[in-house]
Parts: sequence; C-alpha cells; structure tokens
Amino acid sequence: MRYSAWFATYGPSYLDGLGWTALTALGASAGAILWGCALLLIRLAGGRGGARAVDAYVQLFRNTPVLLPIYLIYFGFPLIGLPWPAVVCGGLALVLQNGAYVSEILRGSFKAIDRVQFDAARSIGLSPWKTFRKVVLPQVLVYSIPALGNQVVLLLKDTSLLSAISVTELTMRAKLLTEQTGAAYEAFLVVAVLYLLLVSVTEVIFRTAHRAVRWSR
Amino acid sequence: MRRKALTSTVVAGVMALAALLPAAAAQEKSRLDVVLERGELIVVTMSTAPPFAFTDDKGQLVGFDIDIVRLLAQALFKDPGKVEFVIVTAEGRWPAIESGRADLGVGGTTVYPDRALRVAFTRAFIDSGISILVSKKSGIKSLEDLNQEKYTVANLNNPQMAERAKRFFPKTKVLTFDTPSAQFLAVRSGRAHALQIDTPTADYFAAQSKDEFEVLPQLLTASQNNAIYLKPGDFKWWQWLDTAVAELRSGSWYPQYSEVYQKWFGKNPPPQKFYLQR
Amino acid sequence: MTSGSLLLLAQAAGVSLLLAAAAIVLGTAVGAGLTAMAFSRLAVVRAAYRVWVYLVRGTPVLVLALLVFYALPALDLRTGPYLAGILVLGIYAGALFAEVFRGGVLAIPRPQWESGRSLGLPPGAMLRKVVAPLVLRYALPPYVNVCVMAVKASSVLSIISVWELTFAAREIIERTLAVFTVLGVAAALYFVMCLGIDRAGKWLERRLMVRGFVGEPA
Repeated sequence: MRYSAWFATYGPSYLDGLGWTALTALGASAGAILWGCALLLIRLAGGRGGARAVDAYVQLFRNTPVLLPIYLIYFGFPLIGLPWPAVVCGGLALVLQNGAYVSEILRGSFKAIDRVQFDAARSIGLSPWKTFRKVVLPQVLVYSIPALGNQVVLLLKDTSLLSAISVTELTMRAKLLTEQTGAAYEAFLVVAVLYLLLVSVTEVIFRTAHRAVRWSR
Repeated sequence: MRRKALTSTVVAGVMALAALLPAAAAQEKSRLDVVLERGELIVVTMSTAPPFAFTDDKGQLVGFDIDIVRLLAQALFKDPGKVEFVIVTAEGRWPAIESGRADLGVGGTTVYPDRALRVAFTRAFIDSGISILVSKKSGIKSLEDLNQEKYTVANLNNPQMAERAKRFFPKTKVLTFDTPSAQFLAVRSGRAHALQIDTPTADYFAAQSKDEFEVLPQLLTASQNNAIYLKPGDFKWWQWLDTAVAELRSGSWYPQYSEVYQKWFGKNPPPQKFYLQR
Repeated sequence: MTSGSLLLLAQAAGVSLLLAAAAIVLGTAVGAGLTAMAFSRLAVVRAAYRVWVYLVRGTPVLVLALLVFYALPALDLRTGPYLAGILVLGIYAGALFAEVFRGGVLAIPRPQWESGRSLGLPPGAMLRKVVAPLVLRYALPPYVNVCVMAVKASSVLSIISVWELTFAAREIIERTLAVFTVLGVAAALYFVMCLGIDRAGKWLERRLMVRGFVGEPA
C-alpha cells in the first residue's frame, strides 16, 4: 500500500507532531476553561462595568481570526522583553480566544440554574465567593460539558495555526513533508486521520464525563 | 469533461492510425497539443514569492517567473497575454499539477530530487543560491560569526534549510516558519538574528530596507535550480518546455531573457556561454 | 499602507462575505436534510447521520477543501475553485447546523409534542406549526455562531486558489513585510463582517420574541 509505505517512512515525524498538537491542545483547553470561569466571575461580581468589559472582550475575540493575537503575542512580546517560547505564546492566544467562547457557554448554563438556590445559599450564610465556588461553578460546569466538548474540538483544530509561528505540530509536519516530496495528498490525509483520532479521544472523554455526572440533572 | 476526454482520445487514435505510427504512439494525447488547441496556457503559481511571483499594489500578478511564462505564451501563440494563472498557496502547487488541472507550474520553485519523484522538472530557468540575511544590529559579518549558540536563525519549512543549518552553523539555534514574511518578522522582533532565503529574495528585500538588513557575502549554496514543473510522463510536452528554457538561457531567446532578468534583478543574467564574456 | 492595498483588502472582504453567504444558504439546506436523517425511524439512517457529522466535524476545513476540489473532476480550475469553496464551506457548516437544529428539536418541551398530538395535528402541520417555530427560536443563537464561523473558515480556501481576505492579506504582507498593519486591517474587516452577522442575529432574535415564551430551554 502506498500509505503504509508513506507512514513507515515519515511516521516518526508525524508522531512528534501529534505529541505537540495534543500537548498544546490539552494545555490551551485547560487554560481556556479556567479563563472562561474567571470571565464568568468578573461578569457576575464586577457589577455593570465588569459585565460590559466582559461583553466587549467576548465580542472582540469572537469576531476576529485568532491568527492576529498569535502573531501579536509571539512577535510582539520579545519587543517588551518577554521572549516566551512559541508554544507558550500560541497557547496563550488560543486561551484568550477560546476563553471568550467558554465564558459564553458558561453564561448560558448559568441561566439554567434555579434562582431559588441563591436564596438558599444566602439563607445558610454562604459568602458570595463561596456561593460562586460551591453552588454556581459546579453546576455550570456540569451543564456545560457537551458544549465545552464542542469548543475543545474547535480549539484542537485551531492549534494548526501555530504552524505559522514555528511550532512543529501536525500541520507543520504536513507542510514540511509536502515541501520535501510534493505529495500533498498523502501528507494532509494522514494528518486528517490523526486529527480525527484526537477529536475522537476528546469526544470520548467528554461523553464519559457527561455520562458520569448525569445524575445531577 | 468526460466526453471531451473521450473525443480527444478518439482523435488521437485516428491521428496515430493515419500517420501509420507504431502502436505505442497511440496513447494519451500530449499536453502540448492540448495547449495549442486550447490557444491558452493554464499555469499554476504562488503569489507570495517576491521577486519571482507576487502581486503588485493593484493586485496584478507580477514577477520574474510570470514574465518567463509570458515569453512561453509569446512563443506558443504569438501573444504573451494567452495565459490563465491559477494562484495557490505553497501546498496547493502539487495537487494542481498531479490532477492535470494546470499545464505547468512556476513560482520560485526549487528542484529537489525528492520532489522529482512526483513531478517532472525542466532544466533550471534561473540559478538561485541560498543566502543569509542578517539584521544590521546583530553585528554578524560572516558565517563563522553566526555559528554561535547565542544566535538564532529563521528557516523556511523545507528540509533542505534544516540540513544546511546543521552543515554550515551547527551551533546556532533554529526556528522554522511557513512564510518568508514570518522569517523577516522574526528577525525584526529579535526572535532571530538571521534568516536563510533564496539569494534573489534576500537581495530584493535588503535593497528595500538598507539600514535594517544586510546580506552576508558568502553563499550557502552557490547555485540551486528554480525550474518549471509539470506532470511527469509526457515526453513531448516536457521536451518543448525544456527546449524553450534552453533557448532562453543560452540560445536564440537570450535577448528577451536578458531583458526580463534586468527588469527584476537590475543586472545582466549569467553569460550565454562560458566562453562568451559580456 | 497604500490606498491600493486597502482597496484590494476591501474587495477581498467582499469575496469572503459572498462565499460565506452562499455557504450559509447551502449549509442550512444541508443541515435541515441531515436533521431529518437524525430523527429518522431507520437506525441505519441515524447511524449514517452520526458518521457523517463525526467525519466532517473532525476533519480540518483545509483537508476538506483539498479532498472536494481535487476529487471532483467536474470542477475546473478557472471557474471551479469558488464553487468548490462554497461546497466545502456548505458541507462544513451543514454538519454544524445539523447539530444546532438537532439540539433545537431536542429542546422542545415534551408537553408541546403531546398537546400537538392530542389536537390531532397531522405530521406536516406539526412540523410547520409547532416544531419549526420552536426550533427557530431555540437554535437562532448557536446558528448565528456557526454563520460567524463560516466567515472565518473561508480563510483556508486559499489552498485551492480561492482569492479571499486572508489570501489577499498574505499577498500584500509577502510583498511589503508590513505584517501587523495588514493583519490589523484584515482583522478589522473580519470584525466588522462578523459583528454585522452577530447584530443581525440579535435583531432577528428580538423580532421573533414571543411574550411569555422562554427563549432558552430550561
């Protein structure tokens, strides 16, 4: 088979790229969910100004391509004395954008919480911070699991943009092999299958998590 | 589409019979005949490789390679305008050729033996060395200067760059980008101190910002070949293109070739024959 | 940046918007068809739906573009790329729309089904009078999200020689090396287009609001 020969020759190169893609996606997803929670907190606790600021932030990142922040952070930070590695810069850009999406997802789930619970929390003397951490956040996260899974899948595919700033992830591997051999089909099809693999793993994780916590619905 | 292919096969078959050629000749019609019949060339190219193939301020496709293709059209149809350019990104070049959608391709494309397993190349229509462009601030004056751990070089994403980096400056750190502009930005932002790039491109940009960049006098490769690429297996078509390139570089079309060369590089091309001094 | 470059970027933005608009129209039709499959009585059809959505969603749009363009011999290089581009975006958006619509159908409260049935509505009327209006309202916000994504996804079509905003920006960048200026202008243009779609969605949401109807599923 042509493809088995192809993979036998270039397999190690792909696996290295697969590692970088998985690592970046994992780190950026965790960061984006944390940042999304933080944005939700700002929206809830920051009064009118906080909510406005979060709205503006979300609008900005939702409506612009992520390549610009990737470039700005990677090429701009050294100019202000912060020459962070490419993976960190690219990951940060992904966190900033996907955090905006995550905060919107969490906001949607927040609306589904029964208001009575806030009165209950206040009546047992929980502080606002404790209410957020112990009452709001767990429920919001549980409600959001399927939507968060979708977002992580999108983030996973967006890691391909980091090839523009010298991260040797999967898409960069495909580009390198295409440059070398002129075999665009093979290079990109193998990469597509590997992305599909990562997407499948992500979906299994989120589906399992969803099933595990379904009692709470 | 299918019917057209069928008709052309039939026509080719009839022609072969009429000429009483051996059976082997009754195969698929040569792309040369298809092109002549169509009265127009379909050429795949990049548009992001100055000074070979790029777009000007009005969005028009220009460059050295583009003018070379116009010379081919002039020879085939007596009209340099009979070209349909198909503009793709770097990765899009090969499928366009393999699928037979374009007759040939140009655009700062270097001949590598690995690539020649998939596409056919003519002989080179321009020599393109590889140079090192450094930021003036860095104070790097030679390859020896560059070969230190404290420096970083920005490469383009082809394996030959990585190999040359290992060979010429093994101690230097390396970053890999997918566009020349990102390489330049890396040098401007201080991410890298130097970059590896085709000599004509290095000269082109160094001339544009003289106080920022400098091209090291030493070349990493004195010469590498930029050539026309096409679908392999069509001898007649390849032969015509190869002959045309030979005539441009060292034969009857040398004057036209010189004119185009002057236009883009501001100097004369290499002499027509080594024993002729210009 | 010169006015010539600005003009080029503006033109390219127009191309991106047209591509996305055509893809949204196509994708909506595809998505509606797929949703019908998702609720089919036949297990085979439902399985086909799941496999299709899984494949399309899990594949980078770039690869989808290469596959569609170079696998369909009916598209030729001169007129084909734009049709292929619309097709690719339509397929991609269609799968995402299908999930959105499916979510909307699932969100319909059970009493709505029951009361519809108890009124003796035939399936056609049920679809027209109960399901469609509810799904429209439930699914509008995520639908708009996908529309915004379609605009942004059009940027990868340059690999099959579609000239749009990102490609035009790259051409100017590789000539002038003015990376941040050009990317900034391109980002601003994307922002205007996407925000426009977003605002149109919000406006429609308000127009469709029915008093006493809770917009989001509880």
